[in-house]
Amino acid sequence: MMRALLMRMMAKVRNLGRGRRADEEVEREIALHVALLEEEYQRQGMPPEEAHTAARRKLGGVEQAKQAHRDQRSWMWLEQTRQDVRQAFRTFARNPGFAVVAVATLAAGIGVNTTIFTAYNAVALKPLPVADPGRVVRLERWFVHGWLGDMQYGFSWQEYEYCREHEDVFSDLVATSWPVKVLAVLPGEMNAAQQKTLQAQMVSGNYFRSFGVGTRLGRTFGPDEDGAAGANPVVVLSYAFWQREMHSDTGVVGSLIKINGKEFSVVGVAPQEFTGTSLLPRVPDFWVPVSMQAQIVPGEDWLHEPADQRFQILGRVKPGIGLKAAGAETVGLIEQFSKTFVTRDSTRTVTLERTAFFGNTDDPRFEAGVAALMLIVAMVLFVAGANVANMLLARGATRQREIGVRLALGASRSRVVRQLVTESVLLSVMGGAAGLGLAIVASRLLRVGVAQILTAQLGGDFAFSLNLNPDARVLTYAVVLSVLAGVVFGLSPALQCTRPELATSLRDESMAFGRKLRWSHLRSLLIGGQVAVSMLLLTCSGLLVRGLMRAQYADPGFETRRVFLLLADYGDDHATAVARFQRLVTRLEAVPGPASAAYGRGPMMGTWSPPMIVKRTGAVEGEQRERALASYASENYLHTLGIALLRGRDFTRQESATGAHVAVISESAVRRFWPGEDPLGKRFTLDLHFDGKLTDFEVVGMAKDVRFTNLTRVDPAHVYLAPDPALQYPILIDVGANQEAALAAVWKTVKDSDANLMPDMALWNMETMLVHPQRTLARVMAMFALGLALLAVSLAGVGIYGVMAYVVSQRTKEIGVQMALGARAGDVLRSVALWGLRPVVVGMAAGLGCGAAASAVLHSTLAFPGSSDFLYGVRFYDPWTFAGITCFLVGVSMVASLVPAVRAVRVDPMVALRYE
Amino acid sequence: MQGTLDLMILRTLATLGARHSYAIATRLEQVSGELLKVNQGTLYPALVRLEENGWIKGSWGKTETNREAKYYAITRAGLRALNEETERWRQMSGVVDKLLEEG
Repeated sequence: MMRALLMRMMAKVRNLGRGRRADEEVEREIALHVALLEEEYQRQGMPPEEAHTAARRKLGGVEQAKQAHRDQRSWMWLEQTRQDVRQAFRTFARNPGFAVVAVATLAAGIGVNTTIFTAYNAVALKPLPVADPGRVVRLERWFVHGWLGDMQYGFSWQEYEYCREHEDVFSDLVATSWPVKVLAVLPGEMNAAQQKTLQAQMVSGNYFRSFGVGTRLGRTFGPDEDGAAGANPVVVLSYAFWQREMHSDTGVVGSLIKINGKEFSVVGVAPQEFTGTSLLPRVPDFWVPVSMQAQIVPGEDWLHEPADQRFQILGRVKPGIGLKAAGAETVGLIEQFSKTFVTRDSTRTVTLERTAFFGNTDDPRFEAGVAALMLIVAMVLFVAGANVANMLLARGATRQREIGVRLALGASRSRVVRQLVTESVLLSVMGGAAGLGLAIVASRLLRVGVAQILTAQLGGDFAFSLNLNPDARVLTYAVVLSVLAGVVFGLSPALQCTRPELATSLRDESMAFGRKLRWSHLRSLLIGGQVAVSMLLLTCSGLLVRGLMRAQYADPGFETRRVFLLLADYGDDHATAVARFQRLVTRLEAVPGPASAAYGRGPMMGTWSPPMIVKRTGAVEGEQRERALASYASENYLHTLGIALLRGRDFTRQESATGAHVAVISESAVRRFWPGEDPLGKRFTLDLHFDGKLTDFEVVGMAKDVRFTNLTRVDPAHVYLAPDPALQYPILIDVGANQEAALAAVWKTVKDSDANLMPDMALWNMETMLVHPQRTLARVMAMFALGLALLAVSLAGVGIYGVMAYVVSQRTKEIGVQMALGARAGDVLRSVALWGLRPVVVGMAAGLGCGAAASAVLHSTLAFPGSSDFLYGVRFYDPWTFAGITCFLVGVSMVASLVPAVRAVRVDPMVALRYE
Repeated sequence: MQGTLDLMILRTLATLGARHSYAIATRLEQVSGELLKVNQGTLYPALVRLEENGWIKGSWGKTETNREAKYYAITRAGLRALNEETERWRQMSGVVDKLLEEG
């Protein structure tokens, strides 16, 4: 049976090319058949004429026999598809306007979807730029406490060595550090003043070799170069860095770079396509063997502490070994290791993660974001598709006679449906091709935009490694999406147009006349759905845009332009870190240049909200569980930031130095905890370390409300606590009027007091580094939302217009009669327009409901005091937004439905009556 | 009954040797008498099908009256298929008979 099937397929393939010859042959065969039958009949005594007819009758329709033969001979569908495609192109050529609008509509829908998919693909699906990336995995640790984030990829060097010695499921196991900042002097600029901050990545000696990465110039590391500590001062430059800073100098190999005061020699340059294996879209400037850790991060030891999780481990699974088996082995090894070497381990389990460009793609938060974005753009595609479906419906109706003729002549319904669906698929494939082009352009723009945001946030020159070029996956996605859209949105109009009763349209010339105005269910559903989706997109983006516009003017409430944050890493050793920090603070406070210095939690740098119990007094006495944002702040902190103290006092120097349990709280906190009372002297407790140990605090002052945690909202409740002396904090420096002199003085002070801090130190202006990126992000989001909404609205507008134009044209004759009989233009107009708006109104109501629901969901996230409010305080039922958008959409629909109606009314009744 | 027609054509060619389409049609009519009154045109798709399966092979030749005709002959694969199909047909008709009698 199988063989017969195969033979038949081959025969069909052979027959594809020889349609005409086969036709001739069968004609000859049938001619003979008829002739022989005729002879037979004549022998039986029939007259020749009669014999001829009888023979033909016996054969039963020569043409049908030939057609049946033809059908049997080759793949019908292929042949017919070719016919259908030709027919479709003829139809498009007859009505190019329709084709252009349909293709453009679908191009917009598919383009938006493909753009988002391109971004997702680049971030989560594209493999690392290494040889055979499918077998490369990244080890991921899962904590008992459920912490998510980059630290899940952290492993200690000892763990790495232990695994490498004991495993037998990986052909290679590689360790790499996170990017580390170093101070470097480039070759030819051996003047120490010209030092630059560069990004280094420490890697095990087998790094390049295991990943099958070659070189552009020179060599990579040898497997034993991560051996003896400090013995191999060599670096491999990244291509991007070599191009940017070395001007692609081919003589760079062998030159010396001074890193943290020690000379390293350049041994090679990585190839252009190797953009590293980082978790962030940033190419390191150079790679250096792990053995140089003490020189790269002076004063620290990352290699001998089993609980110090500084390295990521990547492995290449041996051929023939499944991921599951490799995973099980790894879990066993890590467990074994922690039992032997680690006293308190919080690892629940270890998994092997498929390596994508971006780590943490299995983080549920990331997945939820992607899903939400996909849903939004899918809605745009729905609107576009509904549009095209409506246009097809309308056209199907005008082509009823053509379809009726074909059905009457014996074409089967499925045959006609297939022809119509072929047309719609053809449209959507053309739309998809155009959409893919759009997506390529859009992702270029996206790349520029993202690079700008990241540059603003990460600062400095750097190579951005996100590759947004379309690949096979993007191509497949676009093709599948197009074909799917074509079938889904083409099928129901095709079925509708070929309904059996429509065959009667041949007889009923004036079918549109005098019948009650009625919406087809499908058409009103499509229009209603379209309007609902546009409405939803419009309300969401309207709220977002209104909120994000506020972002441009939102005032944090404290000084950001003059204040700089000094961030430094004081090392892991607890006692020395505290001493270093305290020494630096004391020195900085003494510097004459800056107006004021303080230390404490950095504003807009994350949240901390320990569990809180407020002790109420007065009418409602008792203890109350609360949530508030908390920050440590030294005695000069509020003054440095310019946050006014409204009541009570600031911390004393003594309280600040010893970490006394006193607090200054915000106005909002007072309103929330002790409404209408004097907050001074009130008490609350905090579980500072989330370990159930409560610390009692006394309120000594009340500060003005500010947007401390993020720019989007005034903190719902904030308590400033005197700092814990056992910790180190960002140092806040108000540089006063003479910024340059003050900054120079700060740099000098740091250098004199603790030069080792310099490589990893950052001095951030709060306005440019913390406030500005939030505004930029808001602007980009608003543009995106606005673009999407405009797209949806214009699509819906075109859709309504198209349908109304069609419906009115169907009724031109009727309108003509009404006019001829003396109906007033206004009445006719009103009845047509009102009737046309019915499904629009229903859709709008549904869209409003969905919009309010979405807004409510968005607002429900604000229950947590630290979460961002993307609406910047716009209320969720914001009447202006909702009313404005409703009016806008009603207006669009009115215009879209009135234009064709007016045109119909203007037609001369005599013309209308003759109109066919 | 597509399968039946195929089976009958194969049987005819196996019994009579190479025949052209008219002869096959005549033979089928003779054997079935008035029971099988089909348009002879339906024969052609069946012939294509069988030829595509490789069960019969057509070649052009001359009739006794010196006319050009396409003669179909059963192939070895065709004979094998005929045996299998006959066996299946027997089983099937046996089952149907039994069912009808018990009915």
